Amino acid sequence: MRSQLLWIALAVGAASAAAAPPAVRSSDPTARALQREVAQMRRERELSTGKAFYLRLDAGRQRLALMLQGVLLDDYGTRGLELGVPQVLFIDRRPRSDWDLQPMSLGRLEPVRQRDRVEFVAPTPSTGPAASPLPLPSAPPAAKYAEDFYSVPSPYRIVFGEGVSLEVRSRGEGRRNRSLLRRAVDATGLRLSDIVSALGLGSRDRIRLRVTLDAEDAASLYRSLPPEVGLIVVGLPPR
Amino acid sequence: MSAQAPPPVSREPAVAAAPSVSQRRAQAAAFARAALVDGVARLRSAWSRPRVRVASAALVFAVMGLTGTGWDFEPVPAAAAPAAPNAASPEASRLAAERERLQTALRLRVPRGPWIVIDQTHNRLRLMRGDDTLLEAPCSAGSGMVLKEGGAGRVWVFDTPRGRFEVLSKAEDPVWKKPDWAFVEEGEPIPTDPEERLEYGSLGEYALYFGDGFMIHGTLYERLLGRPVSHGCIRLGSEPLRAVYKIAPLGTPVYIY
Repeated sequence: MRSQLLWIALAVGAASAAAAPPAVRSSDPTARALQREVAQMRRERELSTGKAFYLRLDAGRQRLALMLQGVLLDDYGTRGLELGVPQVLFIDRRPRSDWDLQPMSLGRLEPVRQRDRVEFVAPTPSTGPAASPLPLPSAPPAAKYAEDFYSVPSPYRIVFGEGVSLEVRSRGEGRRNRSLLRRAVDATGLRLSDIVSALGLGSRDRIRLRVTLDAEDAASLYRSLPPEVGLIVVGLPPR
Repeated sequence: MSAQAPPPVSREPAVAAAPSVSQRRAQAAAFARAALVDGVARLRSAWSRPRVRVASAALVFAVMGLTGTGWDFEPVPAAAAPAAPNAASPEASRLAAERERLQTALRLRVPRGPWIVIDQTHNRLRLMRGDDTLLEAPCSAGSGMVLKEGGAGRVWVFDTPRGRFEVLSKAEDPVWKKPDWAFVEEGEPIPTDPEERLEYGSLGEYALYFGDGFMIHGTLYERLLGRPVSHGCIRLGSEPLRAVYKIAPLGTPVYIY
C-alpha cells in the first residue's frame, strides 16, 4: 500500500514537473531576461484567451490598462509605481523573485463600490380602455451620471486572490471628492488594516503594488472596474 | 526584715507570632486576585468611555508605527529596454524567436476589422478599426434600476451586460417586440396577442442585436445621451448610429465594460 502511494506521488510529481514551465537558470543574463519576458508573455496569452477582464500593469512603460481577450479597452498613465512588502519590527518579508510571472485573479475593490439602485414598484395594471389610442411614450426618469453614483476613496485597493494587491492613489485636482471626516475615517481604516495585514492577520496580502494615477483616471478606474478582474504585471526589473 | 522573691518575668513576646511561609503565600495570592479583579473591573469601566478607546487605538498605532510594522514601499524603476538576442547564445536566440511568436499571437487578438467598445460607466461608445478610433459618441447604457412587479413578484434589473459580444443581426427601421417588463413598468396588462407587443419607431432608424435581447439602437430621448437611462440596451444618437450601422458588419466584436 505504501509503495503504491509512493508510486502515485512520484507520478504526480513527474506530471506536474512536465506541466510547469522550464525553470532553467541560464548563465547568460540576456537569456535570463528573455526567459522572464517570455514567461510573462505566455501568461498574458493565457489571460487573453479567457473570458475575464484583466488589468495589465506595464512597469516599464508606466501604463495601466483594462483589457479583455487581448484587446485594450481603457488605458491610464501611471505617475508612480512602488512595490511594497509587509514589514514587522523593521524586518521585511520578501516575496519570491518570480512572483510576477503568474497572473493574478479574482480582483475585488476595497473599499467596496457601493451603488444605490433605484427601486421602482410597478403600478397595478389598468383594465379599462386606454385614454388615448396612441399614447406618447413617457420619458424615463433622469438618472444620475456615473460621477454621482459612486464617491471614490483615495487610496483604494484592488485585492487579488493570490496575495497581491494594487493600491491606487490619486494625484491632482478632483481627488478630494469626499468630506474631511470621510477621508480621515478611510485613512485610519487603511492604516489599521495595513498593520493588521502586515502582521499576517486577516488579509492574505503579501505584495502590494502602489500606483499613482491622475485623480480623474483613478476615479474612472474605480467606477468602471469589472468584478473579479485579473492582473498581469510586466516590465518589472528582475530582483 | 524578710526578703521577698521578685515576681517571675514573662518571657512571652509582646506581639503575635509571625505567619508561616504558606500563610504569607496565601495572603499574597488573595491580594493579587483581589487586585486583578479590581483591575479588570476598572479597565471595563474605562473601556466603556470613548475617549479611552480612542487613546488606546492611538497608542496601538504609535507602538506599531515606532516598531516598524506595516508596509515597506520602494519605487520601481522603469525597466530597461527588451533584451536584444545575443548572437553568441543559441538559447537567447531561441527565446527571442519565442518572444516574437508570442508578440504576434498577442497582436492578433486585436480584431482586424471594426470593433466596438462601450464604456457603460461614462456612457461612451467608440468604433475602432485596429488601433484607430473611427468614431466616439455619447450613448446611454442600463440605468441599473430595479423594477418590481406587485402581484407576481417578478423583479427586473436594468443592467447592461459586461463582456465580449458580437453583432448577430442588423435591422433598418427596427420594430420593438416589447417584453413583459415594458408593460409592467407602464402599469398595463400584458397582452396575449403577440401583435400587441410590437412597437414602431421607438428604436430609431437602426438596430444592431448582440444577443440576449440586447441591442445598440436609436432613441427618442437624445437629450439623455451620456446618462445611464436605458433598460440594458445601448442607445445611440441618430448620426453615430447611422455610421456604426454602415461600418460594422455582422460578427463585429462588441466589448462592453
